[in-house]
Amino acid sequence: MKPDGKVVLLGDMNVGKTSLLHRYTERRFQDTISTVGGAFYLKQWGPYNISIWDTAGREQFHGLGSMYCRGAAAVILTYDVNNLQSLIELEDRFLALTDTASTDCIFAIVGNKVDLTNEYALLLETEEENRSEKLVTSCISTKVQKQVHLDDAVALYKKILKYKMLDEKDVPAAEKMCFETSAKTGYKVDYLFETIFDMVVPIILRQQAEGPLQTVDLTNCKSAKRTKSGCCA
Amino acid sequence: MSLKAFKLVPAVEREMLMGDKARINVECIECCGKNLYIGTNECFVYHFLLEEKISSAGKITFAATKQLHKYLGFKKAVSELKAASALNRLLVLCDNTITLVNMMNLEPIPTGARIKGAVTFTLNENPMSGDPFCVEVCIISVKRRTIQMFMVYEDRVQIVKEVSTPEQPCAVAVDGHYLCLALTTQYIILNYNTGISQDLFPYCSDEKRPIVKRIGRQEFLLAGPGGLGMFATVDGISQRAPVHWSENVIGAALCFPYVVALDSEFITVHSMLDQQLKQTLPFKEGHILQDFEGKVIVATNKGVYILVPLPLERQIQDLLTSHRVEEALVLAKAARRNIPKEKFQVMYKRILQQAGFIHFAQLQFLEAKELFRSGQLDVRELISLYPFLLPTSSSFIRSHPPLHEYADLNQLTQGDQEKMTKCKRFLMSYLNEVRSTEVANGYKEDIDTALLKLYAEANHESLLDLLVSENFCLLTDSAAWLEKHKKYFALGLLYHYNGQDAAALQLWVKIVNGDVQDSTRSDLYEYIVDFLTFCSDQELVWKYAEWVLQKSEEVGVQIFTKRPLEDQIFTKRPLEDQGKNSFNPDNVMNCLNKYPKSLVKYLEYLVLDRKIKKEKYHTHLAVLYLEAVLQLKSVTTDNCAELTETQTKLRSLLQKSDFYRIHLILDKIKGTDLHMERAILYGKLEEHDKALHILVHELKDFSAAEDYCIWSSESKDLPYRQRLFHMLLLVYLNPGSSDCELVMAAVDLLNNHAAEFDAARVLQLVPDSWSVQLLSPFLTRAMRESIHTKRMTQITLGLAKAENLIYKHDKVKLKGSPIILSDKKLCQVCQSPFCEPAFVRYPNGGMVHTHCAAKRLMNPNMTNHSQT
Ligand SMILES: Nc1nc2c(ncn2[C@@H]2O[C@H](COP(=O)(O)OP(=O)(O)O)[C@@H](O)[C@H]2O)c(=O)[nH]1
Ligand SMILES: [Mg+2]
Repeated sequence: MKPDGKVVLLGDMNVGKTSLLHRYTERRFQDTISTVGGAFYLKQWGPYNISIWDTAGREQFHGLGSMYCRGAAAVILTYDVNNLQSLIELEDRFLALTDTASTDCIFAIVGNKVDLTNEYALLLETEEENRSEKLVTSCISTKVQKQVHLDDAVALYKKILKYKMLDEKDVPAAEKMCFETSAKTGYKVDYLFETIFDMVVPIILRQQAEGPLQTVDLTNCKSAKRTKSGCCA
Repeated sequence: MSLKAFKLVPAVEREMLMGDKARINVECIECCGKNLYIGTNECFVYHFLLEEKISSAGKITFAATKQLHKYLGFKKAVSELKAASALNRLLVLCDNTITLVNMMNLEPIPTGARIKGAVTFTLNENPMSGDPFCVEVCIISVKRRTIQMFMVYEDRVQIVKEVSTPEQPCAVAVDGHYLCLALTTQYIILNYNTGISQDLFPYCSDEKRPIVKRIGRQEFLLAGPGGLGMFATVDGISQRAPVHWSENVIGAALCFPYVVALDSEFITVHSMLDQQLKQTLPFKEGHILQDFEGKVIVATNKGVYILVPLPLERQIQDLLTSHRVEEALVLAKAARRNIPKEKFQVMYKRILQQAGFIHFAQLQFLEAKELFRSGQLDVRELISLYPFLLPTSSSFIRSHPPLHEYADLNQLTQGDQEKMTKCKRFLMSYLNEVRSTEVANGYKEDIDTALLKLYAEANHESLLDLLVSENFCLLTDSAAWLEKHKKYFALGLLYHYNGQDAAALQLWVKIVNGDVQDSTRSDLYEYIVDFLTFCSDQELVWKYAEWVLQKSEEVGVQIFTKRPLEDQIFTKRPLEDQGKNSFNPDNVMNCLNKYPKSLVKYLEYLVLDRKIKKEKYHTHLAVLYLEAVLQLKSVTTDNCAELTETQTKLRSLLQKSDFYRIHLILDKIKGTDLHMERAILYGKLEEHDKALHILVHELKDFSAAEDYCIWSSESKDLPYRQRLFHMLLLVYLNPGSSDCELVMAAVDLLNNHAAEFDAARVLQLVPDSWSVQLLSPFLTRAMRESIHTKRMTQITLGLAKAENLIYKHDKVKLKGSPIILSDKKLCQVCQSPFCEPAFVRYPNGGMVHTHCAAKRLMNPNMTNHSQT
């Protein structure tokens, strides 16, 4: 069966992409094996079938990213909040892969593994529905200082908009599209995926009405604004 | 995680090919129908016929018989062979030239048509030209960075397109207008018609041999980085997750739902459905793996083998046997494509059921239930796992081959009681869920009986619900089970449901009497009374009436008093209609004679509730009340509550009923101190003076006397009431007594009930000595009453006058406009002129002669006639 829309998880290896998808689909956290090539999962969302692609972060498979991203309605750029390099990689290595995505593709930036930070307990307290997760947080001693803050993600989001030559007014706000999650405890994982799915539905509708927009026609001046040649801006 | 999906079967052994010539190597193969072609390094083409044989044990073997072999005349190896069966041509690539030879005799075609300068070639399996006698051939040209498209006919070839590529191509596959190309550094999709290309992903073809394989409409399988088997569509996207091969894959093919790949040591089998490696077959020195019309062939330099897929059903069964339910289901679902619909549905259902039992055995009931439901399991398969649950009469036999490996629940749980209980609880909820759905159709008896047994055994409260609502429990089986578990009350319900009320009652009575033990209902006696009340079996009711009454006169009598009205017969009917068992009052009272309390209750029911106007019952009830009162009075000194109550009832009956025999009661009362009752009775006889005399002089109860006046005249007119009050006044003012008390009573009577007196008459009676002061409330009220009456009369008069005036006004209005009568006017009846001044005018304005009007009155038809 052909999926109606595509969501792609991108990010360096070991940031927890597979774990996030696994947590969402299987409702548990399990030690994963390093993803080879890519994997995908079909999610029924209302009347639509959304495919979620989990990609391999390993350099070896980097070349496959463009193909996976082709026509994507949403890209989830994932980093590890305790690893600054993983955020830097998103801009350096992964952003270019999204050139093949649908032109109205939405971007989300997700900092995973917040459970390891010393801020996590605080996060939970502000969270109304803090369930049994509290139990997991008890071993405070192992907590580390967070390396990447939400502000850094917001800054990256704005850079992406610039790169894509998109106006902030036309896309979801940065604060809405930057998430901090924990695949281990499940913190905000459902929220992340469901927010994205809700935003993907209008794109699916548009794609079904007009056909995919992934190929950029350079002769068309209207879409030229959306291409990468930012030098003349 | 291994599975046997394929079997490797030899097709052409080495000696058949080369005999003793050791240097001959297999270079390429082609298989088309039964024709197998082999190209060798020494420029020979061999043609074999391949026969598939299936032994009685289901074992598949292949027998290849050589047809001929042909030397092509070069010093080069035959590098590729492709058959075009519609053209009866074999395309042979050798020394960069594609020659067309006859498929059967391998002779080159006379025209000598050929394609020169080809490095490699492929056929378009999704050709765009609609011509069936033409194949589309795509070659990688010896010219650098060039792809050429040809149309190949029976005896000619024609170039149709040449496209140049950004880099040197190494491998190609075609689908429609799309070329999937392995270039030096990457794979691309190129539309040769439009020239638009799309990058797929980077791949270094110099380092590792690329693979480009069309696997279906608009989809290709490619060798990717890190030993991946990547899928890509002509749109340049991936719709399936990649499979993970080894690093040095030589060839790959698709045999749904598996991707088969060959490396130097193994043939690997991955499922496209879950990307898992399913099977590994050791295969040394293989260098060709290709699929031909679904047949996967592998070859070494020396021999050719066929990879025979095992039937999907077998594979699925194997997976189920090793409890790999998920995989089995995924495979089964995928098998839908390869198996005829009818057969598939039967198979798939069975697999779902088997999978359900696997989950069930692991106590994963939710999953099991869902699978049983979707697999439309015959519930009896499940019930039959539980010992003794299926009724002995059930015709059920388990399906064969069996859906699971268990003899029964004991074996499954290995005697673990906790597990057993869980299984039973599951079956309870499952049966309860399905019993009212179509799943139950055809074996409702088996289901309900099993459910009853489970409930009874588990002491479950739903047992009763089951028995009192519609059910199909089999009587003999269920009865034995309920008895065994001492569920006697439930057993009674079962009897009742099966129309055996006598048996039910017998059992219940035994429980109440303590002959058998069952504490299900603490109010079983009341339940029985209720049951009898609504029981339509008269004989049965009479049989237990005595028992019920003996237990409790008050409650027991309900079987008569609460009985639905249609069962009771109050009016006299012909005797034969009533029968000796019917519940007419005579029969009932006959029975109740021994039970006085019941009898009173029953009479109260007849007289007060049913309001039956029969002297017999009213008198009987009055007498019973009276006897009770007298009896109580004789044993108690002070007023006990029971006495007061009975006496109130007696008085109320005497007052309200008009049907009892007054004189009879009066006789019985004479000589007792029941003065009030006597007064009431006199009242009933209209002997008010006697009654009032008793009340005033014997009881000296003045308020009772006033009450008497009120209730006695309750349904009577005002003069009657006034007469009574006057009578009372007279009793008070009896000139014989000058009792001061009575005088006061008289004054109070007048002052309190002014409205009940005719003031004029009262004034004549009142002794002259009384002061105005004394009677002032009475006088004021009388005065006010009189004035009120006067004013009301005046209002009535005024209104009448006003109404009269309205009529007068109407009359004047009608007379207002003049009516002119001339000799030109004609009578509307006879149509002749008026000759006299007298005429009749109707309200609608019509004028007629007086005599015509008179006639019309007598004969109305005439008017109708004349008016039209
Ligand atoms: N503490 C913690 N560990 C995580 C979390 N998510 C993933 N991991 C661990 O990080 C490692 C890499 O995870 P994986 O999902 O394979 O990352 P991927 O390479 O991005 O797919 C694994 O050892 C996971 O157990 C998380 O939220 N919290
Ligand atoms: Mg991963």
